[in-house]
Amino acid sequence: MKLLIIEDEEGLRESIEEYFAEAGNICETAVNYPAAMAKIEMYSYDCILLDITLPGGNGINILKRLKENNHTDGVLIISAKNSLDDRLQGLDLGADDYLVKPFHLSELKARVSAIIRRKMYNGSNLLVFNEISIDLQAKTVSVHDKPLKFTRKEFALLIYFIANKGKVVSKNAIAEHLWGDGIDLADNFDFIYSHIKNIRKKLVEAGANDYIQAAYGMGYKFAGQ
Amino acid sequence: MKLLTLYNRVNIITTIVVMLITGIIYYQAISWILIDQADKSLKVEEDEVFDYVKLNKQLPQVFDSKDQQINFSPAAPNSVTREFIDTRYKKDKDEFESGRGLISSVTVNGKYYKILIVESKVETEDLIRIIFTITIGLILFLLLVLLVANRLILNRLWQPFHAILKEMKLFNITDNKEITQTETRIDEFADLNQAATAMTIRAKHDYKELKTFTENASHELLTPIAVINSKLDTLIQSENFNDRQSKLLNDLYSAVARLSRLNQSLLLLVKIENRLLTDQQNINLKQLIDELLIQLEDIFADKHITVTANLEDKEILGSRYLIEILLSNLIINAVRHNHAGGEIIINLTTEALTIKNTGTDEPLDEDKIFTRFHKSSHSDGSGLGLTISRQICQSLGLDLNYQYQNPHHIFIIVF
Repeated sequence: MKLLIIEDEEGLRESIEEYFAEAGNICETAVNYPAAMAKIEMYSYDCILLDITLPGGNGINILKRLKENNHTDGVLIISAKNSLDDRLQGLDLGADDYLVKPFHLSELKARVSAIIRRKMYNGSNLLVFNEISIDLQAKTVSVHDKPLKFTRKEFALLIYFIANKGKVVSKNAIAEHLWGDGIDLADNFDFIYSHIKNIRKKLVEAGANDYIQAAYGMGYKFAGQ
Repeated sequence: MKLLTLYNRVNIITTIVVMLITGIIYYQAISWILIDQADKSLKVEEDEVFDYVKLNKQLPQVFDSKDQQINFSPAAPNSVTREFIDTRYKKDKDEFESGRGLISSVTVNGKYYKILIVESKVETEDLIRIIFTITIGLILFLLLVLLVANRLILNRLWQPFHAILKEMKLFNITDNKEITQTETRIDEFADLNQAATAMTIRAKHDYKELKTFTENASHELLTPIAVINSKLDTLIQSENFNDRQSKLLNDLYSAVARLSRLNQSLLLLVKIENRLLTDQQNINLKQLIDELLIQLEDIFADKHITVTANLEDKEILGSRYLIEILLSNLIINAVRHNHAGGEIIINLTTEALTIKNTGTDEPLDEDKIFTRFHKSSHSDGSGLGLTISRQICQSLGLDLNYQYQNPHHIFIIVF
């Protein structure tokens, strides 16, 4: 997939670029408003990661330009402003999602994957990963066409893992994804372990590979291509 | 004590004391004048007796005049000293009035007589009484008039003061409303008014600065936190961490997560106080609580906490985002401060929402738990949860209160 990262903060931009860099992905970057404008005029992207507060202009204007030009690029706003107005304005102007800083890269990846999935596989709600196939609409999981019983959270977690396949996902990121970042759960993530255990058990029992590995007590990794 | 009461009290006491003193002096003066007069008339009578004796060489006939009685009695020579006395005047048989008397002496034909001339003092006393009554009456009347006048005048005079006071009481630093100027011709109140206005403007300005600072600081912190977060996410992608390194990374993650939550809480507080979250919609609390309970069921299970919810349908008007935060804060609090195997009881009626949880055996200090950054020693929260909850309640016009009924800690929102 082809991404444009519009972010003025170098540290963040580099991390995102590095996280998304993998075979088949092209990541381009823009560090300010004019550079971003120039890129969106010239190219089209599968997904644009757009920081609203940019040197040289307001990211909202980029969104407006995209809409004027009838671009079909997916847009994910990453903003430091967690205000409802901004969120609504962004979504009204055609952004697909809105992520508030600070965020975990795995969360960003999951959101981008969801946007691209919606854009690229128009109408298809099936997410297939090797022997695992997931119906996003019906929220069902099956392995080798055998349906499995997944709880809501297990389902969300599996999709999250697949979007971040090959990456170590921290427990914090998982907790925030499942319970929301508004929920101040402190640092007891024991209950994540039981969800992971259940997912692994269900997948393995249905004959799938054991993709999920614990990573040094920090998080988990969904291994496999 | 009210100023008017104090003023009246001082006024009345001094007036009464002054009146009493002047009354006594006045009474004495009148008495003295009248008695002097009586004495003079007694002296005239005495002179008449002397003249008569000189002329006729015999005692005058004693007859009862209206208010004067003369009595001669023989006495040892030179035994009588001339003096005026207060005595009694025999009006009728067995009826006496107070009187003024003159004791004198006369020698008639070598015989020594004591003369006693007594005059009734009734009329004198009546006169004194009348004069005194009129005077006292006048004084009381004056006093009454003064009291009423004081009351009216003071009330009117102090009106601007009360107006200013009312404005100051209504003053809310978080409002955008300025305090209104009160019209007054009195310099002191005009000064007060000016000082109050200047003070509120300054307070508002400082408060605004402080808020802006908090907001800016929190915003500025977001980016570095986001960078740290993303760098950590990137770092853990590298292979081969030993146990010690992963422990360190875990600690870093926790610290950053906490920093980030703290920052979010501060930003949220600023937003609530600035009333930036004003979207209004009807929120079905029952539905929202049910959703939250499902969302959090694994957390309850992890701590073996039994949750009982008795929920009636209740809708309130407010920002969905804020109400969600309020409810999740309270419920998470009930989990965090619970012990393993404890219970949480949530009751929602049309009148109130109560969230009870087991926990420590000691009641919490209600004054402290809602203040910023107050937290129990074993708490790992931000210390802002309850502050935010109460702020949200205030912004919704609700009350959030705490009670302890052994073994439950209870948080109550009254609708």
